[in-house]
Amino acid sequence: MAENFDKHSLKNGMVVLGEPMESVGSVAFGFMLPAGAALLPEGCCGASNVILDWIFRGAGDKTSRQLSDALDGLGIHRAGGVGSSRIVIGGALEASNLAQGLDLYADIILKPSLEQEQFELARQLAIDGAHSLDDEPRQKVILKLREQFYPSPLGRSTVGEIDELKILTAEKTKQIIENKFSLSDTIFSVAGKYDFESICRQMEDLFATSNHSETKDEKQEMRDDGQTRNKYLHIDNDGAQVHIGLMTETVKPTDEDYYNARVAVEVLSGGMSARLFTEVREKRGLCYAVDARYHSLKEAAGVMCYAGTTPEKAQETLDVIIGEFKRLCEGISEAEIERAKVGLKSASILQSESSSSRAGAIGSDYYVLGRVRSLDEIKNRIEQTTVDSVLGFLQNNKFKDLTVVTIGPRQVTVK
Amino acid sequence: MEFKKKTLSNGLDLIGEVNKASKSAAVGFFVKTGSRDETKQINGVSHFLEHMLFKGTDKLSVFEVNEAFDKTGAEFNAGTSWENTVYYAAVLPEYLEEVTNLWIELMRPALRDEDFNLEKNVIKEEIAMYRDTPSFDVIDKCQSLYFGEHPCGNSVLGSEESIDGLTAEQMREYFTNRYAPNNIVFACAGNFDWEQTCSLVESPCNQWQSQQVERKLSEAPGGRKKKRIEKANLVREHICLMSAAPSAQDEARFAASLLSVIVGDSVGSRFYWELVDKALAEVAVTHLSPMDGVGVFYNRICCSKENVSTVLGIVEDIFQSLSKNGITEDELRKAKNKILSKLVLDNELPMGRLNSLGSNWIYSRQYRTIEDDISAIRAVTIDDVHSIIGRYNPGEFTQFSIGPAKTS
Repeated sequence: MAENFDKHSLKNGMVVLGEPMESVGSVAFGFMLPAGAALLPEGCCGASNVILDWIFRGAGDKTSRQLSDALDGLGIHRAGGVGSSRIVIGGALEASNLAQGLDLYADIILKPSLEQEQFELARQLAIDGAHSLDDEPRQKVILKLREQFYPSPLGRSTVGEIDELKILTAEKTKQIIENKFSLSDTIFSVAGKYDFESICRQMEDLFATSNHSETKDEKQEMRDDGQTRNKYLHIDNDGAQVHIGLMTETVKPTDEDYYNARVAVEVLSGGMSARLFTEVREKRGLCYAVDARYHSLKEAAGVMCYAGTTPEKAQETLDVIIGEFKRLCEGISEAEIERAKVGLKSASILQSESSSSRAGAIGSDYYVLGRVRSLDEIKNRIEQTTVDSVLGFLQNNKFKDLTVVTIGPRQVTVK
Repeated sequence: MEFKKKTLSNGLDLIGEVNKASKSAAVGFFVKTGSRDETKQINGVSHFLEHMLFKGTDKLSVFEVNEAFDKTGAEFNAGTSWENTVYYAAVLPEYLEEVTNLWIELMRPALRDEDFNLEKNVIKEEIAMYRDTPSFDVIDKCQSLYFGEHPCGNSVLGSEESIDGLTAEQMREYFTNRYAPNNIVFACAGNFDWEQTCSLVESPCNQWQSQQVERKLSEAPGGRKKKRIEKANLVREHICLMSAAPSAQDEARFAASLLSVIVGDSVGSRFYWELVDKALAEVAVTHLSPMDGVGVFYNRICCSKENVSTVLGIVEDIFQSLSKNGITEDELRKAKNKILSKLVLDNELPMGRLNSLGSNWIYSRQYRTIEDDISAIRAVTIDDVHSIIGRYNPGEFTQFSIGPAKTS
């Protein structure tokens, strides 16, 4: 079991992390660039998506098409996306092609062509993506929930605001790239089959010579005036279901009680025997989809719940869910805690077999905690939780002050 | 990797691929039944039955089943398609025996009336949820239009009406006929002991009664059909184009999978450069769906209503150019790289191997290693892809669209 991690800091400050995996022939990698939605200047919501598209439309000496062909030629299974704080770009590929892949990604990060004509297309696609969210209420309700729950700008939409995208210019976006693509604040992670020394040598060569400026990160002010929280937002939509999103605050990954919180959420919604599935679906047949999960950013965390149900059952569904959230601190059985612990531990081990999920996990651990947790540490900390520790945590950190968003043909009352 | 196989006297096939280097194992029952094996009267029963398997046995209540699964920490689920119902779990080796025993028990469910009546609500909620997911709904509806009266046109979920009309008795009868051991494959992949696993399965599963089971295979009608429905709450046009393709048993499926990547991979394909790169459509992808005795390519497009005619014109041009000029060596090379790297990644996990193991067996009673699939992809020539284009003519498609009101 791979429990040893590699770590190296490049001269420019970029941290290179690695987790070797013996039994795979692939390697997965990712660059976490500090240009996520919450770090954007006011009025540019959605610019991260435009950037994510635009930087792939030609880089170094390659046109958009040549670059895409080169990536395809290496068989890179591309992955990436926009998060609250970071844009992630990377992918997974056959291990022997990694070096060539990194050459291309260095160009994409350091020397994107950023042509005006290509900007218009990237922006149009971002606008279209934001429009098409209206047709996917299940996704939209979660985005709106994050917006309502997290203090601004942390909860800012990772898809973007159409009005702000429409007035976004190439110049402004270029400026964001220049200010935000700070290498000293970038984390590179790799997992699978690789030679760490040669990766570090190559990364030093590729990135050290760059004159990319140090971070010009104007710190975004967080506005947590309590105005945005504890509110109920309804968006009318003449669909078949009412899509319910619900979120309540809990401790961050850095908190002493983090594992108690994770086990508590697992009792609520870890498996089919967990509280929500049992009460909402098995006993009452109210929903097909109902689940709650732990959701965190570096700065804040919550328990995020989704349920979709036909309009006449929406109120009862919400009432039962809120009842379960509130009831959790009143008592949990030994058997429930045991199942929750096994579920969490198994999930960590099962995910550890995939190079892509490991590359993502070590990168985000480092970003949030400043270090990478070993599988053993995670297992031990889960193991240490008890009925008393979880209940003690819940009594001091009650699931209250709910933020609720619904999309559908009928409103609900949050009692 | 070591392949193992055994057939019980009642026809149940047990297959396994042992990989001691894995940290986990995956186990599953593959039942050769789905919505194409239903009549119109009982449409949706296969999928509903999949839900009902979790409701317990004569000895276990639904709550006991859920607890038993969660005790093992397994990542488990089930899925129903037009022609297969698959029950699977990925689990740490120390819990494999428990999970395997549980699946074996559940494969002979109680199918109680009260559970059936309550679960009907959940099924109807699932139908409603997919009605609110046009990207899924459009494929389902296009498949029904493409196949017409052919049983592959049956919706997997059924309709609210067919589910309302369904009785527990009809489900029990369907179960007896379709969940016969000679219509099921038991498969296991990853880190497990073959002999030990066989000993768990053999004695209880040998009690299962075999049945006369069949599936009538026939040609799909397909053709240039076209339909559009409007939904006032939608803002984008969701389009599905479906055309004929090789079946799951046909060796030509490898060449067809390359063609689908060349035409409509999410990046670097013809659709990508002509539609997505130019911001005419935000989604334009092609998939190959090889099935039992038939197969389809389906293309899914999402764009603004203003762009629909431009987009469809370009799609016609792409297909015409394919018929006229074929593909290039360079396109073929890139498509091979993409498929090969995906093959390797998918097969690194026991769950990925289980899928491949089970489906190859259910369609062809054939064991294929990853290397077999890699060789098959590598061996495809440009002529092979051209013969797919000539034989199936992907430009001859059935078109289904769901979009906003045209007048608004």
